Amino acid sequence: MTNHFNDIRHSKLLFFIGSNAAEAHPVAMQYILYAKEVNNAPVIVVDPRFTKLAAKATDYVRIRPGTDTAFLMGLINQLIQNDWYDKEFVRTRVAGFEELKKEASHYTPEVVEDITGVPAKEVVRIAKLLADNRPGTVIWCMGITQHHIGSSNTRACCILQLMLGNMGKSGGGTNIFRGHDNVQGATDMCVLSHSLPGYYGLSDKAWKHWCKVWGVDYEWIKSRFYNKKYMNKPGFTLARWYQGVIQEDKITQYTPIKAVVFWGISSQSISQYHKVKKAFEQLDLVVVIDPFFNTTAAMCEKDNVYVLPSTSQYETEGSVTSSCRQAQWRYKVVNPVYDSKTDYEIMEEFVKRFGFADKFYKNIKKIPEDITREIANGCLTIGLCGWLPERIKKHTDNWHTFDIDTLQAKGGPCDGEYYGLPWPCWTEDHPGTPILYDISKPVAKGGLPFRARFGTEYTYPDGRKENLLAAEGVANPGSEIMGGYPEFPGWKTDKNVIKEAIKRGMAPFGNARARCYCWNFPDPVPKHREPLHSPRPDLIKKYPTYPDKPDHYRVYTRYKSEQKPELAKEFPIVLITGRVVEHMGGGDETRSNKYLAELMPEVYAEINPRLANDYGLRDGEMVWIESPEGGRIKIKVKVTERVDDKTIFIPYSFSGMFMGRSMLSNYPQGFEPYAIGEPANIVTNYGYDIKTQIQGTKECLCRIKKA
Amino acid sequence: MAMKFICDTERCIACYGCVVACKEGHHLPIGVNRRRVVIVNEGKPGEKSISIACMHCSDAPCMAVCPTKCIYKREDGIVLHDKTKCIGCGYCLMACPFGAPQFPKSGPFGARGVMDKCTFCAGGPAPTFSEQEKQLYGQNRIAEGKVPLCAGMCSTKALLAGDSEVISEIYTQRVAKRGAANL
Repeated sequence: MTNHFNDIRHSKLLFFIGSNAAEAHPVAMQYILYAKEVNNAPVIVVDPRFTKLAAKATDYVRIRPGTDTAFLMGLINQLIQNDWYDKEFVRTRVAGFEELKKEASHYTPEVVEDITGVPAKEVVRIAKLLADNRPGTVIWCMGITQHHIGSSNTRACCILQLMLGNMGKSGGGTNIFRGHDNVQGATDMCVLSHSLPGYYGLSDKAWKHWCKVWGVDYEWIKSRFYNKKYMNKPGFTLARWYQGVIQEDKITQYTPIKAVVFWGISSQSISQYHKVKKAFEQLDLVVVIDPFFNTTAAMCEKDNVYVLPSTSQYETEGSVTSSCRQAQWRYKVVNPVYDSKTDYEIMEEFVKRFGFADKFYKNIKKIPEDITREIANGCLTIGLCGWLPERIKKHTDNWHTFDIDTLQAKGGPCDGEYYGLPWPCWTEDHPGTPILYDISKPVAKGGLPFRARFGTEYTYPDGRKENLLAAEGVANPGSEIMGGYPEFPGWKTDKNVIKEAIKRGMAPFGNARARCYCWNFPDPVPKHREPLHSPRPDLIKKYPTYPDKPDHYRVYTRYKSEQKPELAKEFPIVLITGRVVEHMGGGDETRSNKYLAELMPEVYAEINPRLANDYGLRDGEMVWIESPEGGRIKIKVKVTERVDDKTIFIPYSFSGMFMGRSMLSNYPQGFEPYAIGEPANIVTNYGYDIKTQIQGTKECLCRIKKA
Repeated sequence: MAMKFICDTERCIACYGCVVACKEGHHLPIGVNRRRVVIVNEGKPGEKSISIACMHCSDAPCMAVCPTKCIYKREDGIVLHDKTKCIGCGYCLMACPFGAPQFPKSGPFGARGVMDKCTFCAGGPAPTFSEQEKQLYGQNRIAEGKVPLCAGMCSTKALLAGDSEVISEIYTQRVAKRGAANL
């Protein structure tokens, strides 16, 4: 999130696309409804499904799944064509406008109507609403990201806000609500296969930086790898790791995967889940570390699984990072119950047995405070240098002293600081940055320009040269240079450089323009590409997907060879998945709560009355849903107009059934969840983002058969 | 003074936080819903939701029909009942316009068990904070000076609970702001 939840109270318009905040983020709704009521802000909800959030919208736009970029580019085109865009903002802080304008011009209201199903008049009307109500916020979630063009979708959202001049402003910004508490923290720690903590990547320079922070010898770390090549090569992702086991797609690694550890995550959130199950059967070892005997443990039917009981968040402590980049100290409420251990203890037991405890705990004597300190010491890129455990605790202990509107403390021990020191919190006395890219404040007081990450000048394919730094006169108050400037050399690895920059009133990472044209992306300007499994074969030729990617996070990933126009004949119905408010993620925890299970006891497929009648289905009947990949689930029909007559929706938080078979006998007696059902991800399809490899679970095809 | 609930349907998002807070806080059995969320026009434009429990009526019809006179009204307007006197006849349920009274069991001869309903988190006629009060009626938060669990949990502040004059003032202010913004 560039802004914070509380800041939504200042929005003059709320634009949701691919977000069902009323079910996924109910607590955030108080700020959303405040803006709607007090600011009379239009609430625009763009979604294939009339969600509980749509029920609170002033303007609901039903869109065909997988066509968000086309819709957003249509809005951008309207802003440009009608001169509704913020010309001064574009002139001073944006790069690649000409290239954007050219690409966007394709997306006329009529073209957008054909692709998305949104009436042409609506495209113009929504663009006008956006232009007339500034600053507005743009909010999205998995409905935008979980597509094979997810990275284009997210960029189109950002570009929309650039055109409206809504970036770096209170009430504006691009605000992506994270799905759990501390997802942002996990992301910042880069619990991912392509980067070291703090988004440093996997280059030698990044490894050397972290080795210095950890106080270990780089050569020793290097010796731990099979060979040096794999030190710099992104690993498998959560979406496709199981291909490293079953190898239906060719892998680019010296060995198949032999063991997997599931530490606090639901495996049933992975698409094509029946193939994940196949991997469980082939693995030598599966380790499940979780407070619950969960689905993963129950799915392993070979004698290859170990279950280690970990504590809940209430039985341990440490810092967590909110969706708005704020840190908070989570104190322990009770001591661990039964024979569960904290994650710290489990990690320690492993490390000791692996025999490198001396290196692992070099800087860590007191847990968890010293871990927080080590993070602050290493994550310069996102400015965690000021996140000392003492400061985070001080904020948590004094949260009543902070203002609900601005997040700033008025008096008291944290006077002038922003709650949770939203990163970047550059130094040990920096107040935090509540709104990113806000040039109205000095950098030392929480202001920031756009980052200069891609050089100072670029030559576009047509020969046009553009200065990538911000225009003359545009900088934070007190900046030594009143205009654009490049990054300070060495700021990512040397805290003194950061301090020096702040002293000069400047951002360590420079002051540049935000790019509409990203030459390092497959589509430099976002463009529509039909979903791999498209219900509109006629559009595939015009908007084809990418060529296949042979080594995409170590596995061959099909694009063009997977996009077959004839598929829609056999699998004519669009399938999307999402949340229900009663259950969380894979649901292992919430489905084991009797009250939540009572409220939402079983899984269902939402089917429009027209589609139900065409298939002769009645409310409450059972139906088989089948995917092109051979997944099938038996599930109850819920007849509702939430979805249109081409689309069905299934909540993804269930498990306990597997392709018609009960898995309950695999749970130890008394540990079965109360609410059981088929995991929706058994029928989600092949399809992964070209950049991040996130699974495309919001653009699938399926067929239905009466059970 | 009269203690009341108001549910602001412009704010209620049907998250069921109130329902779960109530059940968890009072350790209610499955099937007993002191509070429920009702959704109308589900999945269509005009969808609205409202959280409903005993409304602690000023002129409570349940009191009028109870044959054992076990239902009574406190001075602060909270309607409570004496479970040791209730015979589970179900007249109160028929009289109640909101379907608030709950019955924990039913059998082949319609034996319902003793009635249970929202206490406004004010316990019951048993001695305040006694084990008996807790067992029969759940927590007594009003005696602790706290708002009912449901309203305390409500994430959008749709559900307001308290002195009717105070909460109606909050609601009026809210509606006035909405009106002003629409001018």
